[in-house]
Amino acid sequence: MPPKPKKFICSFCRNDVQHIDYKNSKLLSDFITYYRSIQSRFHTGVCLKHQKQLASAIKKARNMALLAAVRYEKK
Amino acid sequence: MTQKYEILAIIVNSLDEKAAAKYATEHIVKKIKDEGGNVTFEDFWGERGFAYTINKQKWGYYFCAQFECEPQNIDGLKHEWNLDNTIVRFLITKVPKNAPKPQTQEEMEAQWAAEEKEQKIKEVATKTAKSAPKKPAPEKTPKVEEKEEKSTKEEKPKPKKDVIDKKLDEILEDSSLDL
Repeated sequence: MPPKPKKFICSFCRNDVQHIDYKNSKLLSDFITYYRSIQSRFHTGVCLKHQKQLASAIKKARNMALLAAVRYEKK
Repeated sequence: MTQKYEILAIIVNSLDEKAAAKYATEHIVKKIKDEGGNVTFEDFWGERGFAYTINKQKWGYYFCAQFECEPQNIDGLKHEWNLDNTIVRFLITKVPKNAPKPQTQEEMEAQWAAEEKEQKIKEVATKTAKSAPKKPAPEKTPKVEEKEEKSTKEEKPKPKKDVIDKKLDEILEDSSLDL
């Protein structure tokens, strides 16, 4: 029998994060794509509980112009 | 039952930085206190660029505060701030009980810089590990010896020309053969 692969743990669970702050725009920017849409947890490996918190935090940050909702070309 | 809230407000950029800070204390903090709230945390971020233009403006002053207030008073505060033209936007959120201590923007930026430094150090370490020689290369002497052996095998003693001529002559002279 081959050895069982190690179970992947969500990066927020590993650091024991209870609440994701919407003002921490540097952290949120790691979880959005090149075109500024929310990255799916298939690609980031975040658990469902934290993905829901992340999504709401990103939406709040967009409302306060901390993050962009679409990518703008620099002129 | 009082509830803990957090407000993040954007103040219009036509004011000075000092005037904007003064405006925040006068029109945001003071109004919370008038409603019977208790302000526990204040942080004036200063000027900051928007991710997109709002009312043809590219930057504004951010102000963050945490306060305890009765839930029925929140609607009145929202109504007043909505009518205020110097406040571009604001967002009121509930602070959950398990939330950590609020950080000022300066502390947050210092933390980001420290994280970036750590990442750079890690990248450099990985690069150096890749470029450095892993193990001393095995000595090539045995291979060379093998090649030499092969060359010796190939160099067989070739029959000389004189010997060949003699043999040919013998065959030609032989009368038993009908050529």
